[in-house]
Amino acid sequence: MRNDSGFYGEFGGQFVPETLIPALDRLEESFREFCADRKSLAELKELFEKYAGRPTPVYHAKNISKKYGMNIYLKREDLLHTGAHKINNTIGQALLARRMGKKRIIAETGAGQHGVASATAAASLGFACTVYMGKTDADRQLLNVKKMKFLGSEVNIVDSGMGTLKDAVSAALKDWVASFNTTHYLIGSAVGPHPFPEIVAYFQSVIGTESRAQFGEMGMPPDVVVACVGGGSNAIGIFQGFLDSDARIIGVEAGGRSLNSGDNSATLSLGRKGVFQGSLSYLLENGSLQVEEVHSVSAGLDYPGVGPQHSYLKDSGRVEYRYAFDAQALAACRELTRMEGIIPALESSHALAYVFENSGEFAGKNVLVNLSGRGDKDFEIIDRHLLEDK
Amino acid sequence: MRGVYLMGGYPDEKKFREACDCAVSSGFDFIEIGIPFNDPLADGPVITAAAYASLAGGATPESIVTGIETLRGTAGLYVMTYSNIIYGYGPGRFSERLSGVINGVILADLPNRMSGVLRGMGLEIPIVPFATLETRPSDLDAINKSASDIVYFVGLRGITGADARIFTDELIGKVDMIKKGSDKKIILGFGIKTGEDASRALEICDGFVVGTEAVRRQGDASRLGDYLSSLVS
Ligand SMILES: Cc1ncc(COP(=O)(O)O)c(C=O)c1O
Repeated sequence: MRNDSGFYGEFGGQFVPETLIPALDRLEESFREFCADRKSLAELKELFEKYAGRPTPVYHAKNISKKYGMNIYLKREDLLHTGAHKINNTIGQALLARRMGKKRIIAETGAGQHGVASATAAASLGFACTVYMGKTDADRQLLNVKKMKFLGSEVNIVDSGMGTLKDAVSAALKDWVASFNTTHYLIGSAVGPHPFPEIVAYFQSVIGTESRAQFGEMGMPPDVVVACVGGGSNAIGIFQGFLDSDARIIGVEAGGRSLNSGDNSATLSLGRKGVFQGSLSYLLENGSLQVEEVHSVSAGLDYPGVGPQHSYLKDSGRVEYRYAFDAQALAACRELTRMEGIIPALESSHALAYVFENSGEFAGKNVLVNLSGRGDKDFEIIDRHLLEDK
Repeated sequence: MRGVYLMGGYPDEKKFREACDCAVSSGFDFIEIGIPFNDPLADGPVITAAAYASLAGGATPESIVTGIETLRGTAGLYVMTYSNIIYGYGPGRFSERLSGVINGVILADLPNRMSGVLRGMGLEIPIVPFATLETRPSDLDAINKSASDIVYFVGLRGITGADARIFTDELIGKVDMIKKGSDKKIILGFGIKTGEDASRALEICDGFVVGTEAVRRQGDASRLGDYLSSLVS
């Protein structure tokens, strides 16, 4: 997919201050060494299995399958240590940071899942850790803020802009421009300048590789693969297992309150091409070329940009990108909880919502949904909305 | 060469124009005009706040480009902004509007190796290359290939307005390396605050540009004038 200068077709690149270029080169070099080093890969595998809890099962959710007239399979990333797929990437990048001799890790977080996963990897591999989190997000994901602090990380609340993921990424990049000699920026999604999208996709590819093998054992391929898309890490993780198959692949973004600008985070459906936070990709921007202030009920999808691989996969036509609204995601969250006894993260609930809402398209099919995380962190929001609904 | 960075449209169009006039009458040779972008990842709080205020006052890339056209011939002119502004405006259209008006564009998030991307899309105005404390001998080639006659030296690791001692042995060594490997004029940016900094910069490099400390005073032409005069002695 990628060419030598870090582009996927026209998307990607390294749109960051010149000062960071040698650090990105060093990171890329280190990543290539890592991928070719059997010992490092064995250590990663060991941590995936014994620490994070891989492989995660693929679960045939029979009750919702019956209700919606298809076979719904859930890739249970929600069962991982810390409760989401984010840990796959933080363990991997923490090993890279150690290889590069860094002492400190910085990370941005939206829902707090990547922040907690970073704080966890830092605690276990012995790094100092600072997590940047927007104020709005810190308020709506308070439990995760407390967890990060308990894990020994410093949490820096970012009060600029809307106080969401975009502002946290900016703050982390500003830290990194001054600190890269000692610090690794552990970016949490398949976004940012090359080589980050590739690195994150690599560490998340375990989701797709495992799923492909698990379906292989069941003796049937999935007809459809669905994942939610914020920056795009869980989605690119599972999609990579099926890009060369016949499966229909669907990424689901946040339709938010409405399709009016500012009300959603449906970057690939509604955005234009732009340059944002390190790469050229689709972007939600206004008529004056300013980044849009966006919205989603789920902090992890509340982001105006998207990783370059997804922009490429959209334009190439291999992957379809759709959206689900806040209310649909909340309803899907309740549905899975009541019918299967699994409380999904609000991010993952967007993928479920799209499948439930469009069940006609999937009648009789084997549909694999990436259940990227569990909903514990969302409890206050779930509670508030579901009470309001009554 | 003495340069000042001013945020376009801040605090309003009229006062921005006064600030430019003030820079010229204080003896500055060039002005870098900021087109505001609301995700300014190389800027500290002062310039970020000015960008937000400019946008809140209704400034757009279009209004600032129009303002720049009226500055033609007053001083050396550069546009300093972020890649998305040029990309979205259209590199070709931007060139049509400002070729011959400005000497170059400085894009804080466009490292030297990416400049070909915007050139390939039709940006005909020279893209000012960067040098940094990290510049390696192997980076000189990219600097020298640029059509710009200046190279912008980012004097510290960090964002605009950061507090740091800039005239370190490390910086002096890097400037030396660049002087030997390039005949572009070296302009020191980031970290210039006082008259003493300005004189030091002129001894070591070919020029400097002051940003944060000027933008801090941009709303008040007489304060700005006093400040800029203190850098020309
Ligand atoms: C459970 C879960 N799913 C999905 C996401 C969205 O991120 P990405 O698109 O990178 O997978 C997040 C982000 O916080 C998350 O916590």
